[in-house]
Amino acid sequence: MTMSVSTQESQMIRLSQVCKSYGDYPVLKDIDAEVARGEVVVICGPSGSGKSTLIRTINRLEEINSGSITLDGQNIHASMRAKALNAMRSRIGFVFQNFNLFPHLSVAENVSMSPIRVKGVTADVAHEKALKLLDRVGLADKARAYPGQLSGGQQQRVAIARALAMEPPVMLFDEPTSALDPEMVGEVLAVMKSLASEGMTMLCVTHEMGFARDVADRIWFIDAGQIIETASPEDFFSNPTHPRAQRFLADLRH
Amino acid sequence: MIHDMIAIVRDYWLLLLIGQYPNGPLGGLANTLILSALSIALAFPISILFATARLSKSPLLRWPVTALVYFTRGVPLLMLILWSYFLVPLLTGADVPSFVTMLTTLVVYQSAFLSEVVRAGIVALGPGQMDAARALGHSYIGAMRYIILPQALYNMIPSILSTFVSTIKDTTLGYVINVPDLTFAASQVNNQLLTQPFQVFLILAIVYFAICWTLTYFANRLERRITRRRAGLLNVSAAVVTPSKIVSEQL
Repeated sequence: MTMSVSTQESQMIRLSQVCKSYGDYPVLKDIDAEVARGEVVVICGPSGSGKSTLIRTINRLEEINSGSITLDGQNIHASMRAKALNAMRSRIGFVFQNFNLFPHLSVAENVSMSPIRVKGVTADVAHEKALKLLDRVGLADKARAYPGQLSGGQQQRVAIARALAMEPPVMLFDEPTSALDPEMVGEVLAVMKSLASEGMTMLCVTHEMGFARDVADRIWFIDAGQIIETASPEDFFSNPTHPRAQRFLADLRH
Repeated sequence: MIHDMIAIVRDYWLLLLIGQYPNGPLGGLANTLILSALSIALAFPISILFATARLSKSPLLRWPVTALVYFTRGVPLLMLILWSYFLVPLLTGADVPSFVTMLTTLVVYQSAFLSEVVRAGIVALGPGQMDAARALGHSYIGAMRYIILPQALYNMIPSILSTFVSTIKDTTLGYVINVPDLTFAASQVNNQLLTQPFQVFLILAIVYFAICWTLTYFANRLERRITRRRAGLLNVSAAVVTPSKIVSEQL
């Protein structure tokens, strides 16, 4: 696939005037935002505000009604052949709230399958890479286990390894710790932190405000389908400007 | 009575086994098994196509197949058989052998039923698996082939096997259009003996029961294995695990 990787441009993802509605109900209203290369953005906001929909439009798991979303200058929602869309999606790592591991495949196969089937990497190379990635998320000893034998936290770490196996320049996380027991949240966040420190561009919907404070470069606060505040974590947590954001943070402290 | 039955089997075993072959068409149990095996072998892939067509976004694919499945499931098999037996020659003028008529009807009928089983298996997985596959860059067909169908078909093995068993039982209806199967052979035997219908048809029942019960037995064993495997207990001895409700016996 030919790509116009513009080195001078620092924007990795750009959303402009993105609108989406389910029937008459608007979910996203005129979203304008940018994610710079290597930036970690945390999206937060009350439930039902459109966070998950927003992040799912970025790899086109959800279609949009108008506007555009570009990755490295390429319009993701342009009309294109299925093959081009699949190639584009393979460059965007996505981590789901419910992990969505493939239960019929072993952990190592979960990680190695997509490089083999989508990218045409040989099985040996893909397997070796899978073992390295599993080692990186601390699960080298689970390579031969099946997802059903792992804890939630372990499954989510495998899901991160599976996404990384496609070597995406961007990773999207849709509430990656919301389905986990509290004691397993830390292990997943630790993997995400290490990813961030290695310079991965990340966009993360999460309710983990500690993570947002420590890791995020910027926070988008979204409410009723609009990004109503964009701020650094320090500013967002110490003096949020929008009254809705103030109320949200006040509710969190209770 | 047992002596009568033994005598019938001793005298007519060849007719019951292969019909009048080689002096006439192949019939008897051999033909029943061939008809069943061919129906199953053809209906299975077609049912997967039907199921994916019914789940397709394209109305051109979805509507005709949905209509066909609803219609086929809504009428008795015997009526379908009679229709294709009388209508196809009327419409095409071709002289279709009754075996082919029966095979085609069975394939359409069982494909419709099996497609619902396969579709249920796919839908039961939920959208997450497809989302995950697409997010990794798999094509729709690739996702179906490597991620969705392996799970959906595996989960549905017990139901699929019980549909196979009912296919074997359904071949008996070929009798009404003179398909020379096991039922047909038994009724020939009965016509020659005239005095022992009970014995003849008891033999017939025993043969069908033996075949279908064996298959059901393996279906149940498989189902228990699948249940254990899902629970991650593949290496635990069978006695420890209480078998789940046996779905395949209900059909």
